[in-house]
Amino acid sequence: MPSSARGPSVRVYLLVWIGLLLIVGAEVALTFAGLSVGVQLAGLLLLASLEAAIALLYFMHLRYERPSLFWSLIPALVVVLILMDYFWPDAVRLLHQRLQGGGP
Amino acid sequence: MTVASVSAGHEAQLEASPYAIASKKLGMWLFIIADGATFGAMLFAYGYLRVANPGWTHPFVFWPTIAKGMLMTAVLLSSSLTMVCAVLTAQAGRKIASLRWLGATMLLGVVFAALHLREWLAMIGEGWGLSRNPAGGPVLFGATFFGITGLHLLHVITGVVALAVISRGFRRGRFDAGHVETTGLYWHFVDLVWMFVFPLVYLMNAR
Repeated sequence: MPSSARGPSVRVYLLVWIGLLLIVGAEVALTFAGLSVGVQLAGLLLLASLEAAIALLYFMHLRYERPSLFWSLIPALVVVLILMDYFWPDAVRLLHQRLQGGGP
Repeated sequence: MTVASVSAGHEAQLEASPYAIASKKLGMWLFIIADGATFGAMLFAYGYLRVANPGWTHPFVFWPTIAKGMLMTAVLLSSSLTMVCAVLTAQAGRKIASLRWLGATMLLGVVFAALHLREWLAMIGEGWGLSRNPAGGPVLFGATFFGITGLHLLHVITGVVALAVISRGFRRGRFDAGHVETTGLYWHFVDLVWMFVFPLVYLMNAR
């Protein structure tokens, strides 16, 4: 296939691998930095998304495929994940209800 | 039957792929997107339960759980590196080298699964279960932890089996480099899912 002929060298893959390991180290450092839960969650999600994007583009070769493949697949998944956000207000409502009730 | 009449009835088969990739690779991508949504739903459900339950349990400490989680992550990331080496050598026609890289990938997958099962057994030994929380917090911690990591572990074990089947077929000439590449996509996806499971399920529950 044309897509298989193009792609990064082993050296690039090694750099990507080292970069991903460094991001994991950064995630652990962030966890034990004593930040608030909200900042910790935002930081971890940002780093995990960066890690996933690098893996998608290089290890999964998406950077070297036709752009139409990326645009056909990734936005659909992102939209699905965004649509799943509708239930957060209910989780917060339950939390306040339980806190006011004093129960677990 | 003329060539013209055949092509008139089978236009879809003769039409070039708009993505310039083999159909099996496109099929794998579609599976990955669907499976990504499944894991997304699992992680969102975990987030919902976590937000809705005050006093959520934070059972993990740096040693041993987080340190071992880092080791498991490094093992899985290394298996992705050996997998790309398997694909590159397969595409270069170096079958023996490719089979060795596939073997290394499977070995790393087995190491990950063994580390994970060891961790599970230790937690179960401490009293953790799907509806048991020895720390005294919400019992849903066990259900979410074992549910999410269990689904991921199932994917790892399935990936090792798939790699074994592809390796056997590739060695015998039944499968080609395209099959190795397509299986590699699945393997990288398993790695990609762990990139979210480790920070959200392990690190967010560290104290």
